[in-house]
Amino acid sequence: MNDPRSPILSGVVSLAHGNGGRHMRALIDAVFARHLANPLLDTTLDAAPLPAMEGEILFTTDGYTVQPLEFPGGTIGSLAVHGTVNDLAVSGATPLYLSLGALIEEGLELSQLERIVASCARAAAECGVRIVAGDTKVLRRGEGGGLYLTTSGIGVRSRSAALGMQHIRPGDAVLVSGPVGDHGTAVMLAREQFGLRGELHSDSASVLPLTRALLEFSGLRFMRDPTRGGLATVCHEISVATGLGMHLQQAAIPVRDPVQSVCDMLGYDPYYLACEGRVVAVIAEDQADAALAAWQALPQGSEAARIGQVAADIRHVVLHTPLGGSRILEELEDDPLPRIC
Amino acid sequence: MPRSAQDWLDLIRALPLEGRRVRVMNVCGGHERSIAQAGLRGALPSSIELIPGPGCPVCVCPEEDVYEAIQLALRENVLLTAFGDMLRVPVNAPKGEPRSLEQAKARGADIRPIASPMEAAALARANPQRTVVFFAAGFETTMAPVAAMVLEAPPPNLLLLLSGRLTWPAVAMLLNSDRPGFDALVAPGHVATVMGANEWRFIVEDHGLPAAVAGFSPQSLLAALYSVLRQLLERHPFLDNCYPELVTPAGNATARRLLDQAFTVDEANWRGVGVIPASGFTLRPHLAAHDARLRYPSPADAQRKRAGQMPPGCDCAQVVLGRIYPDECRLYGRACRPDAPIGPCMVSDEGACRIWWASGVRTPRAA
Repeated sequence: MNDPRSPILSGVVSLAHGNGGRHMRALIDAVFARHLANPLLDTTLDAAPLPAMEGEILFTTDGYTVQPLEFPGGTIGSLAVHGTVNDLAVSGATPLYLSLGALIEEGLELSQLERIVASCARAAAECGVRIVAGDTKVLRRGEGGGLYLTTSGIGVRSRSAALGMQHIRPGDAVLVSGPVGDHGTAVMLAREQFGLRGELHSDSASVLPLTRALLEFSGLRFMRDPTRGGLATVCHEISVATGLGMHLQQAAIPVRDPVQSVCDMLGYDPYYLACEGRVVAVIAEDQADAALAAWQALPQGSEAARIGQVAADIRHVVLHTPLGGSRILEELEDDPLPRIC
Repeated sequence: MPRSAQDWLDLIRALPLEGRRVRVMNVCGGHERSIAQAGLRGALPSSIELIPGPGCPVCVCPEEDVYEAIQLALRENVLLTAFGDMLRVPVNAPKGEPRSLEQAKARGADIRPIASPMEAAALARANPQRTVVFFAAGFETTMAPVAAMVLEAPPPNLLLLLSGRLTWPAVAMLLNSDRPGFDALVAPGHVATVMGANEWRFIVEDHGLPAAVAGFSPQSLLAALYSVLRQLLERHPFLDNCYPELVTPAGNATARRLLDQAFTVDEANWRGVGVIPASGFTLRPHLAAHDARLRYPSPADAQRKRAGQMPPGCDCAQVVLGRIYPDECRLYGRACRPDAPIGPCMVSDEGACRIWWASGVRTPRAA
């Protein structure tokens, strides 16, 4: 296909787009700068000067390698923004600035790259963050999965937001902001590897409204977005770090029917599948109901639930099943493989 | 009004089972997974023991077949493909040789995990200059789509290394032994969907034991449990079907026809168990051109130590036969863990050891 804007920008990304010369300049101007434009983004500078910030500055970075690059509910571009924004948000910060590094594999369709960068820009606008620095490199064909993105983020928080696992106490309540496993399952379906189709969308989104709503509560101890490894992994990490156990009620944990069905078919456990727009929060027992109500009043939190309690009587994460049985949610062993039958 | 899982559990709890010990065997990794995931063992009265039996195709796949797959994968120009959970099954290879397909892959062998037999044919079509070997292990449920694929004229460069097994002969073997080890059977839902419930009538007719086909929800499993317990208490065994949504008495006629057109049924070796009559699938002569064993004579090596056996100290054979629970193995949770499995039962998601580990049983049972 041809792009009317410039012959340099038709078809696919080539090695010339990474050579530092005219082609690279064209790619940056026409794709990255055009979509990501904001007053602080100047692609001619080596480093971006940022205005002075009030409060404690938080800094984070993350790499993104999802396949396929576009999936129902998002793209690697929106994921790269939401992921880094969410890491800042669950730390109690307001995200302000991002950098974006793109490793592009030779042969990637320019039209697809443009769609992804546009979704990146939309996500950044929704989250109220600005992309102020960037880099592109082109990898030789076969050396990359189409496109890898890295975002680093800077945010600020008021010094009173003392969140951390060290504040967690026995008796604290555990909340989750919505159904778990949507992203992991949606991406799996989008790979079409198993010949399964579904109407499922990734939950990829900013969790900023959710984290802001809970920062009001003095009893808030800790928040985390359950990405890789899912809900079970976050709970397990809390248990290991605090030396405390956790009782989770299976009946209370929201899981969508299509997610459960795919898991039943392929032998996956939904509690270990990635979410990209959920928050797990630990909060003092006496404030849990009010916090849950605050979440449920938000569109992102309408399906939020109170799912369990931190406990001193055990040292594991124990899932209590609706039938009165129980099992331990342990650390994920290795990448789950679909089973034979 | 269909009963819920809780209703069935209440019915089971109300049965007069005090002072009895009832051992109910399942022969499907999917059942064992559902039991573990729902925490059924803890919810049931202590008089009921749920015993995982020979229900894991990866676990019973002969050691020498996995060794053969590794040797084929290491050949020049061979692309080997297998279901994902075969990749980490360990064999008794001499020092310095790869001990699993995963290790062979790390040494440069081209090995691709797949989830469906159709992907094997697609790989062969996409790589016409290469020999694509599909290491096909599995029970009837898996072998039916393998049959469908190989009967649909796959490309000539696709070869099958077949390790298909039938489920019921292993149960018959147990029942004909001096230690069957169970009082009732929950028959496998997936296998019965293909082969029909009637395949399990011999449990009742030849051995007088209660049996019920179950699906994979706690509700269906508890219904089947309630059925076999009542059969036992009333001394009136019959074959019950608690998965009528999918299972019919005669099974899936098309799938059975495909199996019959593609394979003969012969005696076959089961890892750690031995040779069981009429328990393995073999490619029919008209498909010989796709038989990897005919193209590449077996690399059987009389010198290879412990060929065909379980690794030293590993009790997988006892676990597969339901003679011990996974955590009663001397290696469980100590030397044998999913990150460094010693026996096949710790590898596959169908394997009882792996399922128990995944459901949180992390330490061996105190002796």
